[in-house]
Amino acid sequence: MQIQYLHWNAAQGWRGANALREPAQVVLYFGSRDGLADGGRYRELRGLYPDSHIVGCSTGGQIHGDDISDEEIVAVALRFAHTQVRLVHETLESRDASRACGVRLARQVAAADLAGVFVLSDGLNVNGNELIAGITEVLGPDLLVTGGLAGDGTRLEQTLVGADGEPSPNRVAAIGFYGASFRIAHGCAGGWDVFGPRRKVTKSNGSVVAELDGEPPLDLYTRYLGEEEAAAMPSSGLAFPLRIHDEAEPDRQIVRSVFAVDHSTRALTFAADIPEGCTAQLMRANFDSLAAGAGEAGRQARNALSGGIGGDKLAILVSCTGRRKVMGQRTQDELDAVAAELGEDVVRIGFYSYGEIAPPAASGRSELHNQTMTVTMIAEAAV
Amino acid sequence: MHRLLARQIRQATDESGQVDLTRLGELVSAAYDEGDSDRRRTDRAITLMIDELEQTHQRAEQDLLRAREFLDSIIENIPIAVFAKDAKDSRYVLLNRAGEEYYGMPREEMLGKIPEQIFPEGIARVVSEQDRRVVDSGTPMFLEGHLLEVGVKGHDRVVNSRKLLIRDGNGAPQYLVGVIEDVTERITNQERISHLAHHDALTDLPNRSAFNAELSERLERAQKAPTSFAVLSLDLDRFKEVNDVFGHPVGDMLMRAAAERLAAESDGAFVARIGGDEFMILMPDDVCREEVLGLGERLVEAIGNELAVDDYLSRVGLSVGIALYPDDGADAATLLANADSALYRAKREGRGRVCFFESEMDQELRDRRLLVHDLRQALEQNQLLVYFQPQARMDGEVIGFEALLRWNHPTRGFVPPDQFIPLAEENGLIIEIGEWVLREACREAASWPRPLQVAVNLSPVQFQAGDLEGSIHQILLETGLAPTRLEVEITEGVLIGDFTRALNLLRRLKALGIRIAMDDFGTGYSSLSYLQSFPFDKIKIDRSFISNLEASPQSAEIVRAVLSLAHALNMPVVAEGVETEAQRAFLAREACEEMQGYLIGRPDLIGRYLDLVGVTVERRLYA
Repeated sequence: MQIQYLHWNAAQGWRGANALREPAQVVLYFGSRDGLADGGRYRELRGLYPDSHIVGCSTGGQIHGDDISDEEIVAVALRFAHTQVRLVHETLESRDASRACGVRLARQVAAADLAGVFVLSDGLNVNGNELIAGITEVLGPDLLVTGGLAGDGTRLEQTLVGADGEPSPNRVAAIGFYGASFRIAHGCAGGWDVFGPRRKVTKSNGSVVAELDGEPPLDLYTRYLGEEEAAAMPSSGLAFPLRIHDEAEPDRQIVRSVFAVDHSTRALTFAADIPEGCTAQLMRANFDSLAAGAGEAGRQARNALSGGIGGDKLAILVSCTGRRKVMGQRTQDELDAVAAELGEDVVRIGFYSYGEIAPPAASGRSELHNQTMTVTMIAEAAV
Repeated sequence: MHRLLARQIRQATDESGQVDLTRLGELVSAAYDEGDSDRRRTDRAITLMIDELEQTHQRAEQDLLRAREFLDSIIENIPIAVFAKDAKDSRYVLLNRAGEEYYGMPREEMLGKIPEQIFPEGIARVVSEQDRRVVDSGTPMFLEGHLLEVGVKGHDRVVNSRKLLIRDGNGAPQYLVGVIEDVTERITNQERISHLAHHDALTDLPNRSAFNAELSERLERAQKAPTSFAVLSLDLDRFKEVNDVFGHPVGDMLMRAAAERLAAESDGAFVARIGGDEFMILMPDDVCREEVLGLGERLVEAIGNELAVDDYLSRVGLSVGIALYPDDGADAATLLANADSALYRAKREGRGRVCFFESEMDQELRDRRLLVHDLRQALEQNQLLVYFQPQARMDGEVIGFEALLRWNHPTRGFVPPDQFIPLAEENGLIIEIGEWVLREACREAASWPRPLQVAVNLSPVQFQAGDLEGSIHQILLETGLAPTRLEVEITEGVLIGDFTRALNLLRRLKALGIRIAMDDFGTGYSSLSYLQSFPFDKIKIDRSFISNLEASPQSAEIVRAVLSLAHALNMPVVAEGVETEAQRAFLAREACEEMQGYLIGRPDLIGRYLDLVGVTVERRLYA
């Protein structure tokens, strides 16, 4: 595999070494909602790569190498030696249609030699859990599906995904990689710790939690954040995700971030469903534990990637906007930690998301996560 | 240098290597702010978390306290003595209120002490030994129904007590828990229930099941060591009349008084009341016939004396039947049946008698039973028939028929009604049979072209039991016979007994339009008060007077008197048993209204009288 890295800024436009000997099969790009919304960047990329699949999304910050940027748009163009690539996409009609949307995507991408899937989805209007359940329902639990939900900084207003077209809301895209040479590996970790008492989810409807221990959850968050920071809900609430413990699936590690606030009912909307009757516990983290978590994700991915790789190696980092919110300028630390684990020979690109898609550990069925760093490594076997 | 500061300097340095101090200051300041806000958030979270955990802890403590109070109050108030001791040294650590009552001392005097410090030496030794045994073996101890050893309740209380071992988390003996339950009342109740199960509630004499058990035991003993004994079956005479006349409360008192006398006279014998006015007595082994007869006669005499009951002086009698083991039977069923048939004979021979069983009684009784058995089958197997006998005016015009029951037995032939009807009345079969006759007669009459009367006899038993009014009503509806065409004939037996009930029933039947005839008038009591109490539609003069009309002037006078009495009361008269023209002529002269007898026609199947009911043979055939 060959990788061409390029980036865009307002002053200089697109820049990047022309490293590909043959036309790219797929181009991945990430940018802020404001940077992508007018479709100009997509059209420019289409001009540069007239025959390639071009797929990208809005974010809460772009990652390339060791840097985080809000203004620059980052992209990689990929050319595989033996791997075939297919890009499919669907429009999400409604939140309730998420599972069906996943099923449709998976049917389009499915093939006997399918070796891995990377998904980019609208980040606010989707039920991410259901979307992934729809995909794995068709593809089975053994095929690795990773990816992320598009972001919108800490505004939580609108997210965009583009797949061979200008980026738009309510879009879900999946890249399928085919062939025996394709190598994919992943890591996923958080670095958060639970604290305080366990609380009962006494009233909830889908992803909207109306009561925790009989109390509106906004009251709890206001107490913990202080009035000043609570005014910045929901983004300030990202500092305190919930660890959900469901009696029905005691072994599942579920972490959920706040996505929306209803100030009249003082209810909170989370990134995915939180069933009534399960228990919830607040989580918190410090700079060091989050960085250590990210390093753990990098180590998992690196260890999972088999040897005998020929050509370039790409790591796509999808990290949660909530982590960046907590870490501020120290966010760099988690990128450093991943870099230290992956080594110098891996090209790193990625974005801050509203949800991460990967199996929870080194193996298992893909799920939606919040507040994790997920690392997807892509490469091809040496011939 | 701190990693972050190095990064900030790098970010504030331009391509020429110049550090933009303003930019660097902004970055450093922002990092301080981020650090401050993170620290504040952390401090806040820690403080809140401590508060919350503290509250949770308090809530948990309160829950625990409440749970403890709840259990304490249950243990305290449970009406069973509960104690707990340290398994090591038997020191008391818990005692509830019932326990204080049981031991007769406040718990302060027991808690923290070992048995030797509390109880007298002998008791303390027993208690400690029990404790050691339970602790060493790990097996619970259960002592059932023992007398109270200590305490103030007195030594007449019976208790069940248990001790069991409770082990700690490592399996080592920790506590001995004991419960002591006062079961005195329960045991008394059990004894009372058992007594009730084997004794008659009214007289407190042994009941039928106790008698049967005693008889079985006697027979069993007799098989091992040959002996003889007597079974007496007793029946109070006229007791039912006392009940009818004076009511059940007086009847009950009389029954108790009679039972006392029987028990007093039968010293050493087993006296049981086996139901209603029946008693059984088992006499001791090896008594001779004379002794048995002597007892029987003494009993008859004792009961025959006036019994003064609650200001009523009443005289009842006693009949006694005796069967002897082994002569009259070697098993319970035979002995009882033979004592019964002896009793039956005693009653039939005039009551107030003592009869020994004789084998021909056995045959007689068996014949009766067989007949009853056959009668039951007669209904199912269509052996019963309804005959019709015409009734006519004195000029010979037939105005109706009397329906008469006949039984044509496949081997016995026609069984005379005076043999089987009393039997049917005795065992209640008459209810079903009577209803069948009524239905057959009504159905037949409803099919006649001429609207003739049909008369049906009703038994006194039908008036006493069952729903006579309901079934007559139902039968009229079913058959479509007009109520005015139905006539029921009753004897004065209907009115003896529950007079008011019978009278009310007759009034309601009459209100339906049914006619009521007084049958067999002139025989029995023929009480004139019955004629006064109810407006009968007809009076039937008994056939015995009619058949003697020519031979006996007295009969003629009686018939004249009855006719003039009936006419004075505006009641038409039917003469039964009219067989000759001379009889008819006499009755016509005396203005008797109607007649019935061989002169008009004998009872027969309706087929013989088709012309009279208006059916020609041809019509009948092709109808």
